[in-house]
Amino acid sequence: MGTRPGLAVSGIERVVMTPDERWKRVKALFELALEQMPPNIDAWLDQQGETDEDVRADVLSLLRHQERSGSFLNTPIADQAPDLISESHPLQEGQVVDKYTIVRELGRGGMGHVYLATEPSLKRQVALKTLAPELAANPEYRERFIREARAAAALEHHSGICTVYSYGEVDGTPYIAHEFVDGRTLRAEIEEGPLPSLEAIHQTAVSLADTLGFAHQHGITHRDFKPENIMRATAGRLKVLDFGLASVTTSAGGPASFVTLTGQGTLMGTLLYMSPEQLRGEKADYRSDVFALGLVLYEYACGVHPFASAQPMGIMANILNSEPTPASMHRGDLPASLVAILTRCLAKNPEGRFPSAVELTVALTSDAPKPRQDAAPAADHMVGWWRTHQLAVIALYLTACVLAWQVKEWQAGHARALFMASCIAAMIGGVLRSHLLFTERVTTTQLTEERERWKYPLTAADLVIALALLADGAILYFGDRLVPAVLTVALGLGIAAGRLVIERVTTAATFAHSDRA
Amino acid sequence: MNHSPRTTTMAPIPVSDTTGRGGADDHMQAVYNELRRIAAAYLRGERPGRTLQATALVHEAYLRLAGLGQPWVDRNHFLGIAARAMRQILVDGARARGAQKRWAGMDRVSLTETLIAAKHEDAMLSALDDALVRLGEVDQELARIVEMRYFAGLSIEDTATALDISPATLKRRWALARGWLFRELSAS
Repeated sequence: MGTRPGLAVSGIERVVMTPDERWKRVKALFELALEQMPPNIDAWLDQQGETDEDVRADVLSLLRHQERSGSFLNTPIADQAPDLISESHPLQEGQVVDKYTIVRELGRGGMGHVYLATEPSLKRQVALKTLAPELAANPEYRERFIREARAAAALEHHSGICTVYSYGEVDGTPYIAHEFVDGRTLRAEIEEGPLPSLEAIHQTAVSLADTLGFAHQHGITHRDFKPENIMRATAGRLKVLDFGLASVTTSAGGPASFVTLTGQGTLMGTLLYMSPEQLRGEKADYRSDVFALGLVLYEYACGVHPFASAQPMGIMANILNSEPTPASMHRGDLPASLVAILTRCLAKNPEGRFPSAVELTVALTSDAPKPRQDAAPAADHMVGWWRTHQLAVIALYLTACVLAWQVKEWQAGHARALFMASCIAAMIGGVLRSHLLFTERVTTTQLTEERERWKYPLTAADLVIALALLADGAILYFGDRLVPAVLTVALGLGIAAGRLVIERVTTAATFAHSDRA
Repeated sequence: MNHSPRTTTMAPIPVSDTTGRGGADDHMQAVYNELRRIAAAYLRGERPGRTLQATALVHEAYLRLAGLGQPWVDRNHFLGIAARAMRQILVDGARARGAQKRWAGMDRVSLTETLIAAKHEDAMLSALDDALVRLGEVDQELARIVEMRYFAGLSIEDTATALDISPATLKRRWALARGWLFRELSAS
């Protein structure tokens, strides 16, 4: 493949180029490379006589990015232009709606728009939420919209719920004016990171549970609890929004009308925070809210959805069929009590959950130990090592007993007493270690306490066995059994070192974060 | 690199009118208003059909403005202006909806995936627009190609005709523009 006359650039050398000249060379080489598709660009650039390092690097990097750009920009945004243009401003800035003046659009969702407005007479800011004009024609959507206003109005005496000021209509489009919360959604917090501190998790959990509990006490189920519906005001206060799906009595609405009331645009976002019974189309009650709250808290604490899957449909399948990954797998520093509470919230069967957010609030405030500050990062994978260590030591106990028995068979006398001592110590040590393993697996919260309680008995048991083995070693040595003597002494020293040095280190590495309080 | 701040509507498009005709800003304003007006009419149900093709939008604006006897009723020139007006309208809209200013935290894979997802695409328009301003400083023609292909949805042939280059050349330059922007946005 010869050089082309079109590339006059190739002959120029050691000439200072302007940025413009350099770009012209880059552009020409890039286009020629696309046309000729050389297998080795570097060699090809040599062939073209390009010596300028900057030009070569630029051509290479552009070709590489072009290759990787996939479908980038290939679908014109113009295809969506009509939607993007036409629906952008149903209400205009400065427009007066009853006693409110529109300031600007705050956001939009599947159901409509939210505007920032002012109420000049009271000199206050309000959020004005409108139902999208195309939905306003549908009685079902209007019904849902009004229901939201009523549910929120019934609950306005709680600081975690937006106060509703008024309900009205403008040009046939219904609107709700409610308290303006300046802040960001929990969704934004989760996505922007970083992971919250244990203190923040605790406060968020208590605040959300308290708000939902208040609704439950008033006979209201939210039914659409998700991070998008939770706002953290700049002052720090959490507000639960969007009672649009709320049912005022537990039987009102029902699953059938619920499905139709959920607009296409909001369907997905909603389904990801639904309880198994809601996904099955069964009746939702307080316990469904408890499930959703568990999902939200889990995602907030760990940064991932407990039923995460690459596909949205996969998440729903997981909600229905799979057990969630324990929260402690994502964050080892979570208090065990919180992990247990989350697990209970996420029980597949409503019977297994808290009866309502009221009980959940009680559990969070009474049961939870004070969250620890500056906790170490997760050491969860270390727990496996700790377990292995326990099992290995139990195996060593058995070996020690067998050895002591053998020594007693060879040379009765002192060895008999040593065998008895070893057996008793091994039994005590074995039982204690099994107990700790059981505690770690089942009643995790008490592990620290139990480890502390049995610390000295375990050391004593191990040292008894170690000393007995050393004594056995001495007996064997004087009995002219050199090899068994060395092995026995080695095992004794091993058990002593295991207890006094190795276990200390592995335990510290595994539990340091939960022990530091 | 010079990041020219672009916050206000319309004003700072760093473009010289390459066709040599004057009054580009006035033309832009006229086309901009016309495109918005037509789109709004569709929304209010004054025109039949719920879906409105972007190209139909541009053509309707052209017919109207040509009918009004504007002095620049050269179709190719109009397409260039309409494409820029579309860019402006869409970017203004995205900014008004609180678009992200950066492609923060996005790696290359999600950059591509993100642009496939329409909703996010809207949120990214502001960042794309900033990058496009920088591209325009390097190579004005490439920026215009992106406006016509991506923002106005013009075909390869229409874009090539409007810019007076062959379709084959246009394809290569379109690839160059995509590579350049992809690199720019991946790095930010």
